[in-house]
Amino acid sequence: MKLEVDSLARCFGTTRALDGISLSVESARVLTLIGPSGGGKSTLLRVLGGLETPDSGTVMVNGAALATTAAELQAYRRSNGFLFQQFNLFPHLTALRNISLPLEVVHGHDPATAQTLAEAALSRFGLLEHAHKLPAQLSGGQQQRVGIARAVARKPAILFLDEPTSALDPEMTAEVLELIQELAEQGQDIILSTHEMGFARAVADQVAFIAAGRVEELASPADLFAHPRSEVCRRFLSKVMRY
Amino acid sequence: MNRRTLIANLAAAIGIAVALGWLFTLVFGMLGAQTDWSKAWEYRETLWRGWLVTLGISFAALAGSVVFGLLFLLGQRSSLVVVRWCCRAFLEFVRDTPLLVHLLFGYFVIFAPLVSRPLADAGWDDKLVIGILLLSLFEGAYLGEILRGGVESIPKTQWESARAVGFSPYQVYRHVIFPQALRRVLPAMAGLFVSLIKDSSLLNVIGVAEYFYNTRNFISRSYAGLEGYVPLALGYLVLTLPVAWLSHWLEKRFRHET
Ligand SMILES: Nc1ncnc2c1ncn2[C@@H]1O[C@H](COP(=O)(O)OP(=O)(O)O)[C@@H](O)[C@H]1O
Ligand SMILES: [Mg+2]
Repeated sequence: MKLEVDSLARCFGTTRALDGISLSVESARVLTLIGPSGGGKSTLLRVLGGLETPDSGTVMVNGAALATTAAELQAYRRSNGFLFQQFNLFPHLTALRNISLPLEVVHGHDPATAQTLAEAALSRFGLLEHAHKLPAQLSGGQQQRVGIARAVARKPAILFLDEPTSALDPEMTAEVLELIQELAEQGQDIILSTHEMGFARAVADQVAFIAAGRVEELASPADLFAHPRSEVCRRFLSKVMRY
Repeated sequence: MNRRTLIANLAAAIGIAVALGWLFTLVFGMLGAQTDWSKAWEYRETLWRGWLVTLGISFAALAGSVVFGLLFLLGQRSSLVVVRWCCRAFLEFVRDTPLLVHLLFGYFVIFAPLVSRPLADAGWDDKLVIGILLLSLFEGAYLGEILRGGVESIPKTQWESARAVGFSPYQVYRHVIFPQALRRVLPAMAGLFVSLIKDSSLLNVIGVAEYFYNTRNFISRSYAGLEGYVPLALGYLVLTLPVAWLSHWLEKRFRHET
């Protein structure tokens, strides 16, 4: 994927969540956003994913300017996938229905096709046995995997993941990260924010360090983790790597 | 149940039974001689017609209140502050004044002069139509608040996920928000519908020949007592109990589901 972000700004009241972010990625399969909490990672992801409109600045995704009207943004969201930290699934629908419903009403598949596609998405990640369970009957890790299965059921151009494992315990974190790595290896373009530095180092092509609404650093993981150039980044890394 | 609560329950049951028995003997002792169930039988057609009208009003106003309730919900969630504000003010007014006043004022002052003629010309019963409309508005105001509470109780992540999946605003409500909100507000809605059925008896003040109106006429014409009031109460219970049961049943079903 190709990404071109120029002086992007977004304020909430007096908080500058994005304070003129600029970012240029020529080609990357997996772009990872790291940085301290409150730095603006989620807001950036939400803007890139078409869930939030910026106050100013421009975004080019794969050569096309980001949509501005509500209808265009909806179409844009339909062509991508998005996963939040938790509570992605609709609690009143089974795992299978969580996937087949959007296929039906958003993408216009007939019910039988939608069901087949949804089953395929679940079985791809070894979740078929949970097809008829409600989200409350699944573990946190399973919920996130079903969420990812839903997001990629329709082959999204880009998959956005906002701290997909932050609400999980280590064992479940591993199962979800494995799945994400698998997707990346199969060629899925992914932009994710995470606190899992080991994972970022192993899977990312590019890592952006974001703090106080700005991109402080953008480099390959090998570069960034070995030679952080800015002082904030160095301090952040030494803090999170200490244990 | 252990021995002590068993005895306590038994004592309470006996106490209540004695009190009620005493009250009943007193009342029947006074009225018993005059109670003549054949009077009610004589008027059965009027009563039956009135009951059917009440049934019709209930169904129509139930549908009407759902329509108004949804409108008030949307109005209160409108992106236009003027719409929100007007909606709020109107709801506050409706909810803080008696239905009796709405019926009298709404019928005699507003609607009757405006639409009675055209309605009558078209072969409609103007009192019935206007009465149903006013009742729907009143109950719709409450329903709007109930629905708003339900919709606003759905966590933000659900709205976000629904948007992220690509649902249109209508689809977000239709497939994600309403199904969850309805489960939460069902008991409150059923309670409201029970009130609606009972409140329909107030339509007698504008002369709608519903169950209460016809029964009251029967009572005053034939000097009936128990034989008038007992069927009156039973007639309403037949309508309200199924609604109450249905809500309990649905409530249980949805509780297991989520
Ligand atoms: N919807 C919102 N309303 C108000 N403030 C917000 C909102 N979203 C984010 N913020 C603020 O913007 C800043 C950046 O937040 P966020 O993008 O969530 O950072 P991160 O994901 O890196 O933790 C924070 O100070 C946060 O409190
Ligand atoms: Mg965040």
